[in-house]
Amino acid sequence: MTDAAVARIRNFSIIAHIDHGKSTLADRLLQQTGTVSDRDMKAQFLDSMDLERERGITIKLQAARMNYRAQDGQEYVLNLIDTPGHVDFSYEVSRSLAACEGALLVVDASQGVEAQTLANVYLALEHDLEIIPVLNKVDLPGAEPDRVKQEIEEIIGLDCSQAILASAKEGIGINEILESIVLLVPPPPDQTRQPLRALIFDSYYDSYRGVIVYFRVMDGAVRRKDRVRLMASGKEYEIDELGVLSPQQVEVEELHAGEVGYFAASIKSVEDARVGDTITLVKEPAEKPLPGYVEAKPMVFCGLFPTDSEQYEDLREALDKLRLNDAALQYEPETSSAMGFGFRCGFLGLLHMEIVQERLEREYNLDLITTAPSVVYQVTTIKGEVLEIDNPCELPDPQYREKIEEPYVRVDIITPEEFVGPLMELCQTRRGEFANMKYLTPGRTTLIYELPLAEIVTDFFDQMKSRTRGYASMEYQLIGYRPNPLVRLDIMIHGDPVDPLATIVHRDKAYYVGKALTEKLKELIPRHQFKIPVQAAIGSRVVASESIPALRKDVLAKCYGGDISRKKKLLQKQAKGKKRLKSIGTVDVPQEAFMAVLKLQ
Amino acid sequence: MPFTTSEHRLSPSALSATAQAPRSAYVHIPFCRRRCFYCDFPISVIGQRRRGETSGTIAQYVDGLVQEIRATPRLNAAPLQTVFFGGGTPSLLSTDQLAQILQALDNRFGIAAPAEISMEMDPGTFDLSHIQGYRRLGVSRVSLGVQAFQDELLAACGRFHRTADVYQAVELLEQASVPSVSLDLISGLPHQSWADWVDSLERAIALSPQHLSVYDLTIEPQTPFGRSLQPGARPLPTEAATVAMYRQAQRQLTAAGYNHYEISNYAQPGHRCQHNLTYWHNQPFYGFGMGAASYTQHQRLSRPRTLRLYREWVAAYVAGGGILDCPPTPPWEQVLDGLMVGLRLAEGMGLRSVAAVYGWAGLELLQDCLRPYIEKGWLVLDNAGQNAGELIPSTRLRLTDPEGFLMSNQVIADMFNALTPVAPTV
Repeated sequence: MTDAAVARIRNFSIIAHIDHGKSTLADRLLQQTGTVSDRDMKAQFLDSMDLERERGITIKLQAARMNYRAQDGQEYVLNLIDTPGHVDFSYEVSRSLAACEGALLVVDASQGVEAQTLANVYLALEHDLEIIPVLNKVDLPGAEPDRVKQEIEEIIGLDCSQAILASAKEGIGINEILESIVLLVPPPPDQTRQPLRALIFDSYYDSYRGVIVYFRVMDGAVRRKDRVRLMASGKEYEIDELGVLSPQQVEVEELHAGEVGYFAASIKSVEDARVGDTITLVKEPAEKPLPGYVEAKPMVFCGLFPTDSEQYEDLREALDKLRLNDAALQYEPETSSAMGFGFRCGFLGLLHMEIVQERLEREYNLDLITTAPSVVYQVTTIKGEVLEIDNPCELPDPQYREKIEEPYVRVDIITPEEFVGPLMELCQTRRGEFANMKYLTPGRTTLIYELPLAEIVTDFFDQMKSRTRGYASMEYQLIGYRPNPLVRLDIMIHGDPVDPLATIVHRDKAYYVGKALTEKLKELIPRHQFKIPVQAAIGSRVVASESIPALRKDVLAKCYGGDISRKKKLLQKQAKGKKRLKSIGTVDVPQEAFMAVLKLQ
Repeated sequence: MPFTTSEHRLSPSALSATAQAPRSAYVHIPFCRRRCFYCDFPISVIGQRRRGETSGTIAQYVDGLVQEIRATPRLNAAPLQTVFFGGGTPSLLSTDQLAQILQALDNRFGIAAPAEISMEMDPGTFDLSHIQGYRRLGVSRVSLGVQAFQDELLAACGRFHRTADVYQAVELLEQASVPSVSLDLISGLPHQSWADWVDSLERAIALSPQHLSVYDLTIEPQTPFGRSLQPGARPLPTEAATVAMYRQAQRQLTAAGYNHYEISNYAQPGHRCQHNLTYWHNQPFYGFGMGAASYTQHQRLSRPRTLRLYREWVAAYVAGGGILDCPPTPPWEQVLDGLMVGLRLAEGMGLRSVAAVYGWAGLELLQDCLRPYIEKGWLVLDNAGQNAGELIPSTRLRLTDPEGFLMSNQVIADMFNALTPVAPTV
């Protein structure tokens, strides 16, 4: 298999918005080339995590090698390198794209270009990729290929006269796509005689073989039993197993420049073989690593606490295991007087956070309390020290602070024109600063705002979707830190401050947030047999106060034959709710309360 | 009690085998002159002028009921001990219609002599000839929907009758010498004051019924009250006020010689509602009619809640030869049902069924979760094990009156949670 002539290799990826049909198209390509038999085809082959298949999104990317006999009679090797479709993972996307010479730009012919797609297309253009536009779902009654073509031409400046009309679901246009890949995507440059340089674009942990590294050979060649060095981590390993992905792993003896494959070398953690790192040979090392390596830096932080304190060790083990496979996940022990022992965790973004939480609960069977997400603040003390604070309760008291700076992002929102008003209003209420507005095509607009990241990590995305009936899409990137008059808002329940409910807010919004938060908590915390005051305070000054009245009765007045099933359901629901409570002093608080700050209107 | 073996542990199959065959039948008569503002029962409004004698809808419904009864397999050689006509407003039935239904029940299952035959009746819906007719057919117990003794309160909750109708109805029941009369009262009604409540209790006691049902008003979501009222907010009494009303009923009725035998029920000696005890002892019962529930051979089935769907259901049921298409309640769920209903009774419930299905491990888990409630004085153990507070199969749990009753959901919900880890996962 490794005798593939470099001239007949094509490496490509697929750029698409969620739901525009990327996974279905990938499946179709695998089937058409006979890589996966129809019998073995389970829907959406490339999304192998259950979570991915359920949510219909790709989180961990994968790759597949296909053999294709083109119309010119020649046999070609097509390597599809999948990309995750979410903004949290844009670094991974950029590494995948760096491993390709071309990309299919898949756009839903009934929808049009979305912000995330746009961001990835720009990334692809930066890497000099040949881009082949594909209009998917042309079989749907609402398809408007001409409008969408025009949109792609005007927004991206990509010639769409040759755009392929396809329906992955119906198998329309698949041959044309394969032929275009062969004809339009350039073969990799022939660098086989150079010292080895291979780019890691993904890795995952396998409990039997250690880390499995997915890579693209850029220069030179690599053989089984070779001793390799990972240039960024500096670690050295002997390759136990080398192979290609078709898409199941098939062992080979050698891979040369232009090829895509995997290796296993008893590597203990994905941290040691990070995405973007360069593989070279120990005995004949390359001079310089491939460009573009960056260490993943968490942007969003939250506290994770087990509901049952006896699960603390289980939580540690589960995080250790997840980390084997997720170099971007960071965590350190955190103790809170209210919550007991837990961990402060850092994530690439909100989706990454949700995925980790869900996996901990689902795969490791843990009951967790998650605190509201926070960003990293840079605090300059009066002594001139600069502290990085990712946990609101660690914010130094005002008398010790010179200033607080918070991370800002540039947000690009693509929206139908009629929603511009509501979106501007949303951005204004989130302390946004208007940067620019562009009319893309008649009816579609890009709105650009600069916003504090803290305002994005709450429910911004949901709000944007609901204000635009789901039509808008967004993308953001970090643009730096800016000073703001920020304060810490503490929450006291029954007189005791509850650390995990503390938030950092803008001074002008503190009263409003405090009021809304205490009202929300009053709604969420079940009544107890005593009255419970809930207060919001800045320092010692109480800015808002509510009280949860005492519970004096909890009884079903009537329960006869016909009621038993229904009343039992009610009681079981109540029982389930009681299970998810965390005791804070004498008050039992439900999980939702810790996320209340995200749900303020 | 269903579980009366001296063995501490019964296998789940043994538990099922000890369950009795049904001795009770519930018959739902869904017709009402109008819908009360708090009501979320399956009913059908027929207006104020018609009754059984003049309503084709009722006649047609009775036909369907009779068909359902005829198609239902007899599961017990012994005849029915109790029959309960609930509604709706069963007193809208003509004597003939009641006769048809009772005849069908007797033909199919047999009705013991004497049997407790209860009927819910609304003041102002019947005259002496009706009640005398019902009596001749064997009706031995009447539950009268009084609700309040203040006309403005009755009007505010959408009731049709007024206080004068109540007095007249009670007199008719007396004239027909109904052996057991129960009055329904509701506390926590909109605009109801403390004085109104004490007055209602006094007037009810003065009529010396054999039985009283006293319900704290529940605001159900799909009702006019559910749409217009916020629990605890005006014009409803505060929660504290409704709790005080509950306590007051307990004091006043107990002092008048009534036994508080269930969360919302009071009886003079010998006048507990045998039919309702079937439910609270989690024993099987037949059920007939629109929206009616039945519990036979461990199958709990609720019938369709509209006349049309019920009619269609009966047709299919008859055509299918009287087979119920629903899964049986598994033993561990039966135990949870048993706890939920059994703890409503002042006598409480024994733990043999828990031990039989969940084993000693189940008893230990319950023991831990119940400790705080015993300390609070909400729960009492009778016949505990040798060590204080130890649960054994012969132990009985009782909620205290009124503290334990008022917080019963808290206790039951915790017991559900305690038993979850040992619930069989088959």
